[in-house]
Amino acid sequence: MSMKVVDGRAGPRGPTLALLASSEAGLLLITVGFVILFSYLTPGFSSPFNTYALTRVLAIDVVIGFSMMVVLVTGGLNLAVGAIGVCAVMVGGWAMEVAGLPILVAVVLALASGAALGALNGILTVAMRVHSFVVTLATMSLFFGAMIVMTKAQAFNALPAAFVSLAKLKTYFFASSMLYISIGIGVLLWWLFHHTLIGRQILAAGANTSAARLSGVPVERTIVVCHALSGALAAFAGLMLTARNGAALPSMAGQLGMDWLLPAFLAPVLGGTLLTGGTLSVAGTFLGAAMVTVLSNGLLQLELGEFWVQAFLGIILLVAVALDRLRAHLMAKRRI
Amino acid sequence: MTEKLVITGASKAFPGVQALDDVSLALAPGCIHALLGENGAGKSTLIKIITGVHRPDAGTVLLDGEPVQFASPREAIARGISAVHQERNLIPRFSVGENIVLENLPRRRGLVDYGEVRETARRFMAPLGLEIDPDTPVRNLSVARMQLVEIAKALSLDARLLVLDEPTASITPYETETLFRLLRELRDKGVAILFVSHKLDEVFELCDSVTVLRDGRNACASRPLEGLDRADVVRLMIGREEQTARRTERTATGEPVLALRNVGTELGHRNVDLEVRAGEIVGLYGLVGAGRTELAKAIIGAAKVTSGEVQVDGKAVTIDSVATALSRHRIGYVSEDRKHEGLILMHSVRRNVAVTVWGRIARALGWLPNRAERDAVTPYIDRLQVRTPSLAQPVSLLSGGNQQKVSVAKWIAAEVRVLIIDEPTVGIDIQTKVYLHELIHELAAAGTAVILISSDMPEMISLADRIAVMSEFEVVGEIDNDHDATRMGEAIMARIHKVEGAT
Amino acid sequence: MSTTMQLLRTDWFGLLVAFLLGAIMLGVAQPSFLSTYNIYVILTAFALSVLVALSQMVIVAIGQLNLSVGAIGGLAAITFAGAMDLWNVPIPVAILIGLMVGVAGGALNGVVTHVTGLNAFVVTLATLSIFKGTNIGITEAQPFYDIPEAVKTFGNARFGFFPYLLFVSGAILVAVWVFMRRAVLGRQLLAVGGNRNAAELSGISIGRVVVAAHVLSGTLAAVAGMLAVARLQLGQPTIGDDWLIISFAAPVIGGAVLAGGHVSVGGTLLGVAIIMLINNALVLLNVNPYAVQLLLGALILAAVALSRFRDPA
Repeated sequence: MSMKVVDGRAGPRGPTLALLASSEAGLLLITVGFVILFSYLTPGFSSPFNTYALTRVLAIDVVIGFSMMVVLVTGGLNLAVGAIGVCAVMVGGWAMEVAGLPILVAVVLALASGAALGALNGILTVAMRVHSFVVTLATMSLFFGAMIVMTKAQAFNALPAAFVSLAKLKTYFFASSMLYISIGIGVLLWWLFHHTLIGRQILAAGANTSAARLSGVPVERTIVVCHALSGALAAFAGLMLTARNGAALPSMAGQLGMDWLLPAFLAPVLGGTLLTGGTLSVAGTFLGAAMVTVLSNGLLQLELGEFWVQAFLGIILLVAVALDRLRAHLMAKRRI
Repeated sequence: MTEKLVITGASKAFPGVQALDDVSLALAPGCIHALLGENGAGKSTLIKIITGVHRPDAGTVLLDGEPVQFASPREAIARGISAVHQERNLIPRFSVGENIVLENLPRRRGLVDYGEVRETARRFMAPLGLEIDPDTPVRNLSVARMQLVEIAKALSLDARLLVLDEPTASITPYETETLFRLLRELRDKGVAILFVSHKLDEVFELCDSVTVLRDGRNACASRPLEGLDRADVVRLMIGREEQTARRTERTATGEPVLALRNVGTELGHRNVDLEVRAGEIVGLYGLVGAGRTELAKAIIGAAKVTSGEVQVDGKAVTIDSVATALSRHRIGYVSEDRKHEGLILMHSVRRNVAVTVWGRIARALGWLPNRAERDAVTPYIDRLQVRTPSLAQPVSLLSGGNQQKVSVAKWIAAEVRVLIIDEPTVGIDIQTKVYLHELIHELAAAGTAVILISSDMPEMISLADRIAVMSEFEVVGEIDNDHDATRMGEAIMARIHKVEGAT
Repeated sequence: MSTTMQLLRTDWFGLLVAFLLGAIMLGVAQPSFLSTYNIYVILTAFALSVLVALSQMVIVAIGQLNLSVGAIGGLAAITFAGAMDLWNVPIPVAILIGLMVGVAGGALNGVVTHVTGLNAFVVTLATLSIFKGTNIGITEAQPFYDIPEAVKTFGNARFGFFPYLLFVSGAILVAVWVFMRRAVLGRQLLAVGGNRNAAELSGISIGRVVVAAHVLSGTLAAVAGMLAVARLQLGQPTIGDDWLIISFAAPVIGGAVLAGGHVSVGGTLLGVAIIMLINNALVLLNVNPYAVQLLLGALILAAVALSRFRDPA
């Protein structure tokens, strides 16, 4: 099971079986099933407008999921994804609206500040030799608090029209153009993790820190790189959300940015990325986000209990991780 | 008289390995029974079945003639079985006293009675000569004392069946004597004792009967030790006469490649002098906890050298990380702990071997194509005859011997000049063991400077040119190896003994 | 070792000194700090927060963590308030219902964590959503206003600067302190957190201990939630939303080891006290109250760094 993610090729039982047994295939089937079900139950679901709205949300949730995924692979986690996303966006908003910098410069500035905050998480984790949980718990509060103090909780509302219109492009099949950007990011991440030196080092360090260190892998560097990458991805998701909202809002990710936590964990965990590190599935994270987005959107379209969506997502997360555990258990038994 | 414990036909499998296969053992009250076997023969698994940690897949366990099936260690304890396991099993922040009586915390009015804790603990510490304040936190103790606390803990249960897995691994001969006196007293009171040790001398000194395991099966089941001699037991353990690997002729030449001059480390080493030349095998021998593995880690930059000098090719160097040791000085370390430090179990054979050469084969922008990786590792997989269905096979699914070959292969692929090999043959089959011994000879013959860490005396005596003896994080002596097992063994023990006796 | 050295090595001594220094400085800078009413305000907030911190602390003791502390507290709060508002249930029964929510929520966390062997982080993230979602589903984000006068009175009552709420928290604080130091189950919690394998081989039932810790955590969170209802005078669905940071900050500042096996009730108490002091200082000195978030983050980092320095193992 772990083989496909680890090595990017089929297991000993042949490619077809491995594909069927993979969580990606299962997720794809379930997601397609839900799409068909919702399209049948409510005409609103497959309307061009809803497709567009859904893919736009999906595009953002995918990147939020990636942002968590790249830290999960180190065996750590990043509670500060939301806080970093908001901080970076406020930097970008300030750069565009107050400093009047060109959009591209502002975007680069926002991404760089996201990466810098992420790198800080990584450096603190390495320097203090503690789990990233406690570091990012602290910095979530620290970053968000600093951002509110500096911005006085004021939004940047007058962003350049050209920036906002980026989010409004529609393409084939009424999908948001942002979705293609997210897919592009996914392809880059896949290449990074499976076909480069640093990617291999990250996977090795994440799977077994001591073994990797004793084999000459610069473990500390991989952790800092992953956290910086996570910060940059969080910033990217934040920028996409800002373009969609048309404003840089301090409240866009909720109190301390915690509203992002559930989507951030749901996507990679449903997609088969282990919390213990060392493996990841870019496609799985994408499909995990797709399933969650389709499900929440469908439930809203059906107008059955909009207030219950969050509880529902929680149950799905719990069932999904429990099933994954059960499957791993059964696979281990069969190997004997 | 009914037997205390009878195990018949016990089998137990774990993913990828049949740990026990149809094993039997009978243990009488008032008897000290040795359980012997090489590492990986299944001793620990059998012990874990007796103590309720594992449940056998097949077979029966009779306790006092009555079939039992423990669901947890708790139930085994309730039936009067107590054990000293091989792993450290103490709560570091708890006091010595609370650790000793943890199974049965004395209480008064619903709360733990710490006065009683201290008193009970003292009662079981005294016979072991453990004279420390029972309020001392366990984490402040030396390895040897922790071992004694574990023994006191096992004794505190007043068990009728006592299981001791390598209880003497890290204690001094003097402490061992005290322990043995105590065990004989218990035996005379009718306690059944199952005793596991690597030290055959101890077994012959203490035990009445013996069960030997080999590759998860009985090589012999519960026969009296009387009438067997050392060679018989060894034959039972390894399946034939002690075999020495084919030696490749070689001579060490030139100046030392690696030399330690008066080195101290953050881990507690003091005044360590050691040198190794190209083509030479230097052994590091000592008890568990003597600081050998730790010294290796300091050499490769995984721990800090705080004083003295490390020289490579006669020049003083600072090795601040394993990456530096590998890329700049070409020093490598094969860990004793394959599962946690040697291999990335969930990753493929290919990745595990290639990890040391990634930096060398990466192209522009860090691009590292799978093909380059495959080409880099294939020759070494072939050379070491690693049995794997494909390079993509996760290492976790290989046998212990093949895992060890992968763990060694990555350092051969890295073409290191100095190779530190830590307990290379623990838990692997005989054939692989012999093969690895030959490989170590070959490497040295080809000019690699080898430092061998091993607790296996015959292995050490057959491989090393010189043996440095370590005790309490110091090198206490160095002996040229003349390959005479008896004489060397005595010389080594004399040096350890002298230091232990002095403290 | 000298007495001073011994004191310095404890979890609480440095914190106590820091707290006293801070309090004296604030008292000098802003005399209204020592007014009866201000002390009452601080102690009220303390009464709630200390339960939140203890709720997390007992989970940290076994080497796990509980993201759903706030969600359980919130759900207990709105069922407590809702039972009285919608069904006019007598107060003791409503308290019982609120406690049952805490017990059930904690039991769910504990049982799922133990049976599946999953990381408590992901389990409690999921149950956080389930509990919070249920809260929103029931209330549709609207508060329950109709709370009995007796509850409201209790929430506001005080002896001079001493709020009645603190009787509840104080009693629980002492009980938890005795529990962690002297009760067999409390010691088993720490044993499991300190070395899980050793605890199991010593005949401790891991499952029982893990579930017990989570049930205790849920119960403490539920009590905190119900006290919050009494203080706010209404069943606010957002109760518990902002507990996460403080629930970790106080035990960590108090010297708890996140890997498990070591917590300090006294340290946690002082951790909460210091946080309350900072909070109050920011209000009294007219600093942006959001700066407390910033400071809390910095404080957690400092505490972790300090514990690394003190205990490098």
